[in-house]
Amino acid sequence: MERIRVLIAKPGLDGHDRGALVISQALRDAGMEVIYTGLRQSAEQIVRAAVQEDVDVIGLSSLSGAHNVLFPAVVKQLKEEEAEDILVIGGGVIPVYDIARLEEAGVEKIFTPGTPTGLIASYIEESVKARRGEETRLFQKPRGVDHIGIAVTSIDEAASFYRSHFQLDIQDVVEVPEQGVRVAFLPLGSVTLELLEPLGENSPVQKFIDKKGPGLHHLAIAVEDLQDRLTQMKRSGVQLIDEEPKTGAQGHPIAFLHPKSTHGSLLELVERKDESADGHV
Amino acid sequence: MEDYKEAYAAWQKEVKEQLKKRPERKDTFRTGSRLDVERAYFPEEIDNAYIEKLGFPGRYPYTRGIRSTMYRGQLWTMRQYAGFGSAKETNERFRYLLDQGQTGLSVAFDLPTQIGYDSDDAMSLGEVGKVGVAIDSLEDMELLFDQISLGDVSTSMTINAPAAVLLAMYIAVAEKQGVPPEKIRGTIQNDILKEYIARGTYIYPPKPSMKLITDIFEFCSREAPAFNTISISGYHIREAGSTAVQELAFTLANAAAYVEAAMEAGLDVDEFAPRLAFFFNGHNDFFEETAKFRAARRMWAKMMRERFGAKKEKSEQLRFHTQVAGSTLTAQQPENNVVRVALQAMAAVLGGTQSLHTNAKDEALSLPTEDSARIALRTQQIIAHETGVTNTIDPLGGSYFIEELTDRLEEEAFRYIERIDEMGGAVQAVESQYMQREIHRAAYDAQKRLEKEEDIVVGVNKFQAGEEQAPDLMAVDDAFVKEQLHRLKTLRERRDSEKVEAVLEELKAAAENGENMMDVIVKAVKVYATVGEICHTLRNVFGEYTS
Repeated sequence: MERIRVLIAKPGLDGHDRGALVISQALRDAGMEVIYTGLRQSAEQIVRAAVQEDVDVIGLSSLSGAHNVLFPAVVKQLKEEEAEDILVIGGGVIPVYDIARLEEAGVEKIFTPGTPTGLIASYIEESVKARRGEETRLFQKPRGVDHIGIAVTSIDEAASFYRSHFQLDIQDVVEVPEQGVRVAFLPLGSVTLELLEPLGENSPVQKFIDKKGPGLHHLAIAVEDLQDRLTQMKRSGVQLIDEEPKTGAQGHPIAFLHPKSTHGSLLELVERKDESADGHV
Repeated sequence: MEDYKEAYAAWQKEVKEQLKKRPERKDTFRTGSRLDVERAYFPEEIDNAYIEKLGFPGRYPYTRGIRSTMYRGQLWTMRQYAGFGSAKETNERFRYLLDQGQTGLSVAFDLPTQIGYDSDDAMSLGEVGKVGVAIDSLEDMELLFDQISLGDVSTSMTINAPAAVLLAMYIAVAEKQGVPPEKIRGTIQNDILKEYIARGTYIYPPKPSMKLITDIFEFCSREAPAFNTISISGYHIREAGSTAVQELAFTLANAAAYVEAAMEAGLDVDEFAPRLAFFFNGHNDFFEETAKFRAARRMWAKMMRERFGAKKEKSEQLRFHTQVAGSTLTAQQPENNVVRVALQAMAAVLGGTQSLHTNAKDEALSLPTEDSARIALRTQQIIAHETGVTNTIDPLGGSYFIEELTDRLEEEAFRYIERIDEMGGAVQAVESQYMQREIHRAAYDAQKRLEKEEDIVVGVNKFQAGEEQAPDLMAVDDAFVKEQLHRLKTLRERRDSEKVEAVLEELKAAAENGENMMDVIVKAVKVYATVGEICHTLRNVFGEYTS
């Protein structure tokens, strides 16, 4: 997609530009074209610069308390110039009770102190894509559950339970020494059950069993564009166990998210290159 | 090098003299278990290295403090920065703070006042009374100090580009109260270089701004010798994201530029140097901060003695105000800020500060409420009266870690200053954006470390709370803006406009001819010329700075 262009502006008389400069740099590092206006800009100057520079987004920063007057003035000026397609966002020392008022006045979003810069970058990316009518593929729902991981002390014992009572057969057994695990695959409809047996004392699965006992271990969700999703999640502050995709037991790219960020569940993302037969090959 | 016995005897003599002038706060100082605490502690074996690097309290190079008895004699000044809305409202807050035991005033001005615009200027839209009090004319200043005797308080004013105007108004109000200029005490910030670097309330280009500053130096050494003519500020440099080393280096580099400018203007270093004050940031890294203050004193003493040839002790003594770091306050879980502020303030006290502002917990969200402002002041009072850290001088002196850090900070900061000198000094380094770039790089690095969780901020990237409570916040009522505009309008109609015009003409001539502008500015405020009118007159002569 075409590079996103952003104008970072300091309206009014406020001279605190640490935030404006840090955001400018972070958005540049996220691949955007960023123009910074410098201090003491009027609404007219800001809108003129935005139109001339053909930006997608105006980011306003004020720490002086004048935001209630200055931010809406920029929105109004954009309307007068018929440039309402430019997205306006803002940040600074902005009390919570002013946020709703500003959003009503046409400021799309207010980011308060402590917001990770990556979150702002991905917000801009998604909003601009939506405004440009581009497909926002990352927001599509995943295709479904790929598999469910179950920690067991012995694959043989667990498999015999599933065979006796659910007539499920082991399709394959794989050892993944680098992850300290032996995995048995039991297809069940469109989903696979993965029985995970620890290889040795230091296996993460052994630690899981020591802590919580055997049982449900992780849920794997089938996605497309695994790398893009990871990048976006990382920027949004999601804690990842794997920042880069690695190869899973079945040879597909996979990555785990940290339970700290998922409200307690260990989630795995799986990308299946082979679309045939739901990928169970 | 003076030997230990002589130095010790000299300190003892100074202490004796000091005790005659001002007895210590108590006859004996004791710990909680009633053990005696001595005035100061020293290494068992004293050598020349000790004398050279630390010295005795109140003696060169002042590493351990600039007073011979330090806080045993007198606590620091508790000076809370306040100001919002109209002069009348701010006056009420000032009187409240004085009633609560605050010992000095500190005025926050709104941005139009700080950048030389009247409240009715188009540029002032939305900003009037927001970050401080709106002052347009002497009339506002009279309201601001109503029922506050300027002979009894010391007042710090955070004003830079129009510092001459506000100082002139302060002098005029004092005179009306019957207090002559030589009796007024306080500080104007008046540090324009850091405005270009970090804070942004500049008006004119650097050169004429430096001229205004040296005019104030000259005027005050003549008329108001007890007033601090400048507060050279690392605070905002640090807030903009610098490291502690950069804060030290850039502040002292700026200070050197002011000293040089004043000497070039023909002033004697020992005439103006005793009135130079400093303003530092009290940040999170506890020991580094304490070491920073100690290093600052030693560096300044060396610079004044060796580089500028100062002869008076007062010229070598770095006196400083500290404000704890506003940028470390979090909007998340604001109650935690009370704890941060207490620790930062403690580091400043262990570093020997002369005055201190402790932030209110809600300042990342809005201006402080009366409640949170009180807790902030109470924090200082607890440190002063409950913790016992004020019972002995420089309690951390001699710690291997603190002394090593003090040495390292000094070394690194001098390295920066050398680099700046090679560029031609601080004015040139500002113009070439060198310091701005260095600070920005440090700020961005810090943000990245935070986002990678290499640095932890409690409540922000770790230990986030489940639910956020909406705190009580202070909102500035905008109704007063209308009243402010109305008063300004009637003032313009009421005053003798011929006199105003005549004195503004005179000011223009003084600016063009390179005369001392301060005397004319005092005349101008007395006939109720406004901040905006005076600054516009100078804008027309000097032009405006754009970054």
